[in-house]
Amino acid sequence: MTVHEVLEIGPPHMHIPEGLLPPLHAAAWTAAAAPFVVHGVRSLTREVRANPDTKLLLGAAGAFCFVLSALKIPSATGTSSHPVGVGLGAVLFRPPVMAVLGTITLLFQALLLAHGGLSTLGANAFSLAVVGPWVAYGAFRLVRSLTARSSEGLSLSASVFAAAFSASLGTYTVTSLQLALAHPDPEGGIVGAFVKYATIFSLTQIPIAVIEGLITVAVVRILTSVSRGDLVRLGVLRPSAAPPSGTRTATTTATTAEDREKGSTE
Amino acid sequence: MTPIDTAAYRSRWRRYHPAVKGVLCGGLLACALLLPPWPGAALVAVATLAAATAARVPPGLLVRVAAAPLLFVVTSAAPLLVTVGGPETLAWAEGGAARAAEVAARASAAVGTQLLFVLTTPVADLLARLARTRLPTALVEVVALTYQMLMVLLRTAQRVASGQAGRLGYHSRRAGVRSAGALGGVLFVRSLDRARRLQEGLACRGYTGRLTVLVAEQPVRPVELAAAAAPPLLVAALSLAHAALL
Repeated sequence: MTVHEVLEIGPPHMHIPEGLLPPLHAAAWTAAAAPFVVHGVRSLTREVRANPDTKLLLGAAGAFCFVLSALKIPSATGTSSHPVGVGLGAVLFRPPVMAVLGTITLLFQALLLAHGGLSTLGANAFSLAVVGPWVAYGAFRLVRSLTARSSEGLSLSASVFAAAFSASLGTYTVTSLQLALAHPDPEGGIVGAFVKYATIFSLTQIPIAVIEGLITVAVVRILTSVSRGDLVRLGVLRPSAAPPSGTRTATTTATTAEDREKGSTE
Repeated sequence: MTPIDTAAYRSRWRRYHPAVKGVLCGGLLACALLLPPWPGAALVAVATLAAATAARVPPGLLVRVAAAPLLFVVTSAAPLLVTVGGPETLAWAEGGAARAAEVAARASAAVGTQLLFVLTTPVADLLARLARTRLPTALVEVVALTYQMLMVLLRTAQRVASGQAGRLGYHSRRAGVRSAGALGGVLFVRSLDRARRLQEGLACRGYTGRLTVLVAEQPVRPVELAAAAAPPLLVAALSLAHAALL
């Protein structure tokens, strides 16, 4: 495997290309994704206004999500470029922020990698930047609370795996539904078409979802050892004195606040 | 830089205003989406290929970049060949081949117009104009910062991955998963670290929350806009004439 095979224009991914959805469907999915993205942009604007330094961290997070999604991961059929970023991003940055970062990532993927189209940007944003992150975050919180009694390492690994696995499956289910609505089966209707698409995609997506889960666990394990402070601030790790789980996007603010604190003491 | 961005900077059409290329490619995209696939999609494809030749888009790159979306198009059009839920569980759909061909033709033509646009217009040219739209300033700045950091981080990822591959990090699937995890971890740490250092550097130079860059003024010439609008209008006219005559 050469560098260009690890990182480049890659084969299967779950981005609906340009022109595959009829214009009305594309517009409807854009309208469905819009409230989430607008909400995310509002909270981002508020945060940036309160703390201009947040912008740089959000830019870094956006770039991180893009580069992760451009990575090709080892899979059953050789390699596949895939949004490893969705599950991890949702856990690290929370779904409202991910609605914005995910949409930005999708825009750059369409412009720089030709993954996904511009007319289908709304449809892809709905599956990858809205449903994926919320499903991932839901699974993460659920497994985290279910395993609250087990050791921190096991609980974290299990919940991160659940987040990445379910984000991948959630995304592919929504994409199948979008394609089924656009191209219903003459006999079986939308349900029939959904079964057809879901079956085809599940051949590649279920193994990929498992591998994606494993990789995401590996990423978070490394982060717990090298970047523990960041994870505690982002609310992923339980600190010894647990802050309320509602710290949400204050994460980035906390980071910059601490940096300034550091600067003033030096 | 991704191969697409590199090609966009080298493109002969770089010097035209993005709006001109937007009118051409957007118009052709609208034709592909709205006109009947025959002869609409075919005409759009011909117009796109002619334009790509005129812009001297490298043909090899065009094929390589088009491969992934077209594979998805084929995978999505193939299920139209069969039908489920009838008397038999799975049967060949009546007229399925025609429907699949229509969907594939329309989507392929649309992908072509997108590729023509991205292969002739660098993202930086677009971002500079994004600031003049009515989008929230904070959003525009985060988008611009993401773009600025993305290329450096992409290079970092390539270097780390090449180092890992050199140490047989992707030799087996097990090692591959571990290496990919390590790569993701290192990218997170470095992206945050770089943002913090950038922040300190900017603060020292009196950062007010605005990163201004010089944008080369490119006037939008009406002649160019008219020339860009001509192919989509011609495609639409031919397509409608075809429909009227039959």
